[in-house]
Amino acid sequence: MANSAQFAQDKAVDFVIVGSGSAGGILARELSTAGFDLVVFEQGPYRRAADFTHDELAILFQEELLNGNPGSGQTFRDDPDKKAVMPEGDTPVRYAQTVGGSSVHFTANFWRFREIDFKERSLLGPISGTNFADWPISYEELEPYYTKVDWDIGISGAPGPFDSPRSRPFPMPPLPIKSSGVLLEKAAKKLGLHAQAEPHAILSQPHNGRPGCIKCGYCMFFGCEVNAKSSTLAAMIPLAEASGHCEIRAESAVFRVVTDAHGRASEVLYYDADGNERSQKARAVILSANGAETARLLLLSESAQFPDGLANSSGFVGRNLMFNSHSLSEAVFEHQLNDYKGAQVSRMVHDFYETDEKRGFYGGGGIDSRPLFSATPIFHAMMGMPPDVPSWGAKFKNEIAHNFTRQMAVLSGSTSLALDRNNITLDPESTDQWGRPAIRLTYRDHDDDLAVAKFLRDRCMELLDAAGAVKSWRMPIGPTNGGEHLLGTCRMGDDPSTSVVDRNHRSHDVANLFICDGSSFVTSGRGQPTMTIMALAFRTADKIKEAANALEI
Amino acid sequence: MTNNKELSRRDFLHSAGAISGISCLRIAAPALVSLTQAACSAKEQSAAFVTLGEAEAADFSAIAARIIPTTETPGATEAGVIYFIDRAFGEEESGSLNVARDGLDALNATLPDATRFADLDETMQDVLLKSIESDGFFNLLRTMTVFGFFAMSSYGGNKDHIGWDLIGFKGHHGAWEYPFGYYDAAVHGGSYDGE
Repeated sequence: MANSAQFAQDKAVDFVIVGSGSAGGILARELSTAGFDLVVFEQGPYRRAADFTHDELAILFQEELLNGNPGSGQTFRDDPDKKAVMPEGDTPVRYAQTVGGSSVHFTANFWRFREIDFKERSLLGPISGTNFADWPISYEELEPYYTKVDWDIGISGAPGPFDSPRSRPFPMPPLPIKSSGVLLEKAAKKLGLHAQAEPHAILSQPHNGRPGCIKCGYCMFFGCEVNAKSSTLAAMIPLAEASGHCEIRAESAVFRVVTDAHGRASEVLYYDADGNERSQKARAVILSANGAETARLLLLSESAQFPDGLANSSGFVGRNLMFNSHSLSEAVFEHQLNDYKGAQVSRMVHDFYETDEKRGFYGGGGIDSRPLFSATPIFHAMMGMPPDVPSWGAKFKNEIAHNFTRQMAVLSGSTSLALDRNNITLDPESTDQWGRPAIRLTYRDHDDDLAVAKFLRDRCMELLDAAGAVKSWRMPIGPTNGGEHLLGTCRMGDDPSTSVVDRNHRSHDVANLFICDGSSFVTSGRGQPTMTIMALAFRTADKIKEAANALEI
Repeated sequence: MTNNKELSRRDFLHSAGAISGISCLRIAAPALVSLTQAACSAKEQSAAFVTLGEAEAADFSAIAARIIPTTETPGATEAGVIYFIDRAFGEEESGSLNVARDGLDALNATLPDATRFADLDETMQDVLLKSIESDGFFNLLRTMTVFGFFAMSSYGGNKDHIGWDLIGFKGHHGAWEYPFGYYDAAVHGGSYDGE
């Protein structure tokens, strides 16, 4: 194991990075190996591959890796005039609290965005009542960093017919096709559509000293026991620690970024594992805490100098939250798929990716086939049964038994529009387990988000029927009351009045404060954001290194 | 054949609600983890229950046996679901046991003197459960039964992987090679010996 650094709290390190996930882990590796001293803060514990299990009850139903209510104290409302309440069911904003963040438990579907994702507003025109906008950067500017993700993080895949240009091939072939992929491919062909291999942040063969996937099937929500999943825990953090310039400070929850008399970030205050208040001085601060936590931390850091929250002169901190809309249809087939084996997805269809104005609404998405609920037994029994099956008794039992190996879902991920009303704010009453004001989610789908999800769900049904399903059914869509994709809450842009960070992820208001994670997104993409979060992080690291070397931080 | 019927929002929330109804178990996650080994030995001894009295355990066991009945294949009884329930109710702290006990008392109160749910024949049991199937009490028991049938054996139920064997899940094997199923066998060139 590497000798990770340990830094004194009262001596300023070069950088504090808040968050060790998809963006924070990459920034940690890039900056520490360039010789900068840094401390990475992570609220959750430091779990390693050997700590991960196949315990479905603990992972899916007791949320072992997650932030969860009631501890998080999160509240939800669908209307800003209502009082937000803590839901009885799922926690509104869900992410992993563990070193490596949500890259530890993600399903690892890893599309790049396409050229159009960055300039759709220019192509389509404005959408009234929304904050629909172009990104300040293009696909071409981000492409080298997508390629860096491919090779440094470890992405398996093969080019598809609709992909934007890539400068280098995938470093390894895609994971082999599963029965759900064979069926999707057959259906797509029948319907004149194009199935292509799903790219994965999972190694299909050994790469960078890590082993290839053993196809155990426990990807979605679980941590990988062999480090084949390309989390930052597996791919980046060991390299950061080995540099001797990076300390991972786990179980440490930051609650304020402090600014000095010049309006520069000077230290962060945090609760340690025992709940004691501590501080860490830094020459610059990078927030990569995710689209909900980054916004909350900025709002928590309000002061006389920054009365509406740090870096919030635009009022855009916390606004424009996008979850990606989703829909799915389910089906049972005659023979066994045994789709619980291996990574969830092996084939996807991107024919409906672009907006088609003939449909009458904005948006598009990607479709894939996967076991979804039928990857694990409890999930299958509780969530995966057809609508005409009783919820208990002999028929229930027989249906669970018959369908488990024969069932799959065809699922769509799609666009969400940026709206003022969809946001993260501080709850005025509820607090989390550390005593910080809790995340308050206010969210109501834009009609077009629901329309595109419904459109895609019909396509999912057609694909299942074309695949020869014995029985198929649609699952309900929305209203969205929470999610895992946390996008848009500190958007990047050239205009300080309508964005929080500039095109290089430096906050418009605080010169030595950088923000890079899902919050930087201007549009939502089509449902798989993490590849782009990681590419942005590699690019941000380069921009920060350039600025630091030019003494411009 | 295509079933175009949309799963109703209500049904969906119903099943999701059943899970959230047990969100109290989420709080007790560390306690349930510590439960693991103890539950194993308790089950092997077929010993006294830790949390439940004999009579209420018999009733809960009978309810679980109607939710996942013993047919030509094993059900909740053979999987030892009641041992999972006994342990889980003992570990969590936010009132599920009280919900379950109150619900059971209410159910038994509808029966003639001294008769308990476990004393009824299966037909009568089904009629009675049908009448309460949208209640929180029933949903709690349904969720606990599914958990106890399919959670890792170390939690006290799913004895000898009975639940997993029933549905053809071999997740405990760990690693896999292609082909996985019938439809990908032709692509991978291997032979598929399943259905």
